[in-house]
Order: sequence, then C-alpha cells, then structure tokens
Amino acid sequence: MEKQYPPIEPGHKWFKTLVIKIVFFLLGRSFHSTSKLDPDIKREIATWEEGFAFMMKIFPDGPRMTVEKRRGILKYRGSAPESADLVITFKSLESAFLLFTAQCGTCQGFAESRFIVNGDIPMAMSLTRCLNIIQGYLFPSLISRLILKRVPPMPLYKHLVRLYIYLVGVPLGL
Amino acid sequence: MLPSYYEFFNPVKIASGRKALDNLPYELRQLNVQRPLVISDKGVSEAGLTKIVTGAFADSGITLGGIYDDVPPDSSSEVVGAIAKVFRQNQCDALIAVGGGSAIDTAKGVNILVSEGGDDLLQFVGHDVLRRTLKPLIVVPTTAGTGSEVTYVAVIAHPSRNIKMTFTSVHLYPRVAILDPRMTITAPPKITAATGMDALTHAMESVICLQKNPVSDAFAMAAIELIRDNLVKVVKNGKDEEGRLAMANAACLAGAAFSNSMVGLVHTLGHATGGVAHVPHGVAMSIFLPYAFEYNLEKTEPDIARLLFPLGGAEEFGRTPAGHRARRTIEIIRSLRQNLFELCGLPRTLKEAGVAKEKLESIAQTAVNDGSLTFNPVEVDYNDALLLLKEAYE
Repeated sequence: MEKQYPPIEPGHKWFKTLVIKIVFFLLGRSFHSTSKLDPDIKREIATWEEGFAFMMKIFPDGPRMTVEKRRGILKYRGSAPESADLVITFKSLESAFLLFTAQCGTCQGFAESRFIVNGDIPMAMSLTRCLNIIQGYLFPSLISRLILKRVPPMPLYKHLVRLYIYLVGVPLGL
Repeated sequence: MLPSYYEFFNPVKIASGRKALDNLPYELRQLNVQRPLVISDKGVSEAGLTKIVTGAFADSGITLGGIYDDVPPDSSSEVVGAIAKVFRQNQCDALIAVGGGSAIDTAKGVNILVSEGGDDLLQFVGHDVLRRTLKPLIVVPTTAGTGSEVTYVAVIAHPSRNIKMTFTSVHLYPRVAILDPRMTITAPPKITAATGMDALTHAMESVICLQKNPVSDAFAMAAIELIRDNLVKVVKNGKDEEGRLAMANAACLAGAAFSNSMVGLVHTLGHATGGVAHVPHGVAMSIFLPYAFEYNLEKTEPDIARLLFPLGGAEEFGRTPAGHRARRTIEIIRSLRQNLFELCGLPRTLKEAGVAKEKLESIAQTAVNDGSLTFNPVEVDYNDALLLLKEAYE
C-alpha cells in the first residue's frame, strides 16, 4: 500500500496558554494596585498621557492583555481591546512562558529577540522600569536576583504592598 | 559561552578594495537597475566624490536618474519627501547613497516612500512595520564609522512634530555596500578620529552587551584589530589608502556586529548628549567609552579582558596577568584617546566638547529613556547616569 502524507493541522498548547492567561491577569491587576501604592511606579506613570494604553500579546492570535491609564492610575482592561499605543508582541507562546515563569528577565528577553516592541521607545523604557518593580513584588528576591539586573530594595512598606497585591489587588481588582 | 538564544542576520553584499566603485554598474545590472538616483550632500560633492561616482558609469549604458546632493547633516522628513519627489519625477528605479550616516539614513527613508508609496513617513515608524521588499539601495560610505551601510535602521527627524522617527526592518538593509579607499580619503583628521572611535565603540560594546553572540563577536574582534592597526595611522596620514580601506572595513564589520548584538551604555549617554547638547556622535563615543566600560566592569570583566587581545595585540595580552587584562583594556582606550587629542584635538571630556555643566541633569534624564540601555549588562538609573556624566565632564 502506498504511504500517505496527509496534511497536519496545528495542535494546541492548552496548559501553557492557560498559564499565560493567568499571568496576564495577575500582571494586569498588579499594575493596577501598584499604580496606586508604589511611589516609584506613581512617579513613573505621572509622565504618561491620560488614556495611554499598552498591550502584551502572543503571536499570532494567542492570549493578550491591555492596561490603560485612567484618572491617573493604571486600569487592567483584560483581553477586549484590540489595539494600544504600545504593543509588545511575544514571538511565541514559549517565549512568553520563559519570561513569565522567571526563566528569563525582561531585558534578557528583549536581547534574545523573544518579543518585539511597537510604539514609542521612551515609553517602552518607562514601562520596563515599572515591570521590573512589579516583578520585584511578584517574585521572591531569590528569583528576582536571577532575572533583574538590579533588585529593587524591599523596605517594610513594600512588603505590605506585596501583601495587598496578593490578598486584595489580584483577587478583588482593587 | 553561547547565549541561550540568538539571531544573526546580514544580507548585505560587501564589495571592498581598490577601484571597487567602478564595479557599481555591474552590481546595478545584477539588480536589474536602469536609472538609479544618487543621494549625497554638499560636502561630498565639493570634495569631488560624486564625480568619482559619475565617472564609474562611463560606458556602462546606465543613465543616472539624477544627483541630489543637498542632504543636510541631520536627515529630516522634509528632505526625504523632496528627494522622493525627484525620484518619481525622474522615473528612477534604485538609490545610491554616497555619504555618511545622514545621507544613508535619508536614502533609507526615501526608499520607504518610493517603495511603499505615499508621502507620510510617520505611518512606517517602528519595528517591522514595512511589509514589502524595497527598491535596491547601494551604499558608498564616505566616513568610516557609522556602519549604516550594513544596518537595518534609519533615524530621521520630523521637524514639525519635533521627534526623531526610528525605522527598523530587514527590508531596510542595503543590497550592496561599496568600500573604496578613494571615498574616505578626504575626511579631515578630527572627523577621521571621531568616526573611527564610533566604529571602535560599536565593536567593543557589541562584545559586552546582552545580545552578544558568537557571530557578532567574530565581526567585532576583526574590526577592533583593524582599528588598532590603522586608526592612528590614518589620522596622521589621511592619504594612506591602505589604512583608509582598512578603517572602512572595520566600520563595516563593526556595523554588522552591533546591528545584531546591539549597543549599550556608551551609546545611551552618547545619544542623550547628542540630543541635548549637540555633541557629534563619534566625539561622544570617544568621551564615554572608558567611563562606561569601567561602570560595566563588575558584570563584564571576562569579556572586557578578552578585548585586550584584539585591542592590545597578542604580546600585550600575553604579558598582562589574567586578572589585570580588563583594566589594561580600559587603559589602552584612555591612551588612544589621549593620542587622538594630541594629534587632532579630539575632545576627551564633555567640557572640552563644549557641553555646559547645567545640561548634565537633562542629559541624564534623556539617557534613562534611551532604548539602548535595555541591552546594557548593568542597571543604570538616573543617579548612576548623572554620576557618570559628572565623571566624564572634566
């Protein structure tokens, strides 16, 4: 019998997609909480224009999330918006997985071309600084040391902010 | 050590050597070009360099679609628009950039408009926005520094919006880079020194920055060796054709290296100082190179030590104890700068470059928003940048 070479439909990575969706949710709500409580992030976003939005998405049609500045703070807008002023596109689900599971830092990820940035570069730099601060909250210092060039100091106040993020900010969106 | 992941791409054909420019019509024929437009500036024309280009077309059967030699030192969207108009009126089908960074970036901008259509460059700003293959672009550099002949970037000012537009796309790569010693021989000593230090910085930063990889390292190391042997020589004697060609090759190799490995803190400070205090890019590179390398020493000591081999030579490397090699590399950079200062007055400090001290804070603020900082191995915040600027001041 003649050997067949049928076309192969692309599969799905359900588990990693779910992880990234959870991370986007966690990150989006963390942006919201920290924009109210962290002095460094407040200072950083004070220079952003009202209505400025950034999006993170996975190429080509994977999970995405948008955060927007509204009334001086950052609001998590979920996956509904289809465009933003600054768009960070991860080239693959695996690339995003590496970054969001702390196997690779933001700067290292950019250096390794894991994602591309469309939009204003100074704004992307400002967002990177915010992301570094948030990663300092989300990960224990042992992990932060591996992925950040410099771990932000964690005085007592920041430990309280971390508690707020995990107990109030992420579950309740406040 | 191999990076966990890297990419390297450079599709530019390099034609280098004596009378290389005379092969330009052949290269154009290979690309099916009938009517190329030459883009250049007044300095290049006045130095007689565009005449060498037109001379190369004798008996070639190719009609030049025109020579636009009014590109200003900083390319702008207005100039790009004006040249695109000439290109369309004269029914040209390719571009030849003859000049330094400004003429080359302008040609890349013109290529976007004449290939993609329209008159508004703004819609093409950003990374990977261009979707189609552009018209053939051939670059003939007249300075040995920027490496723009082998990069996929163009930076063009938009005066009415007061912004600098950055375009990055693989479609922006020129098809051919022609390195002919006749084309850089007229550069005066100070420009030669500044552009040479720019090339050296491209090569050296590409070896220590986060996107470094074994292929870019190979390009960078070859570039540094050529600069070590030829920069001072051509500053002393600009007519040295062999030295000029070596420097043109060094700049080209360093350009291919840094456009794949990216650059870091030296460029961060240089871009900001150029933007705020209008210090020429090469001069800024020369000023900041040792300071930024000292700052990065804590995380990149082994890589900086490795640079001693191409920069100081095998004997210097051999006689320097392993633990002292990184420091020795920085010492050699300082002594090269001193040498260039004595030979042609290339500034060693921001003060010598005419920067007002009260501008340092503004420069530091601009620096922390520069994209190149992402690729620097060590974190730099506003206070760190300000401290470095103060160190480099006098």
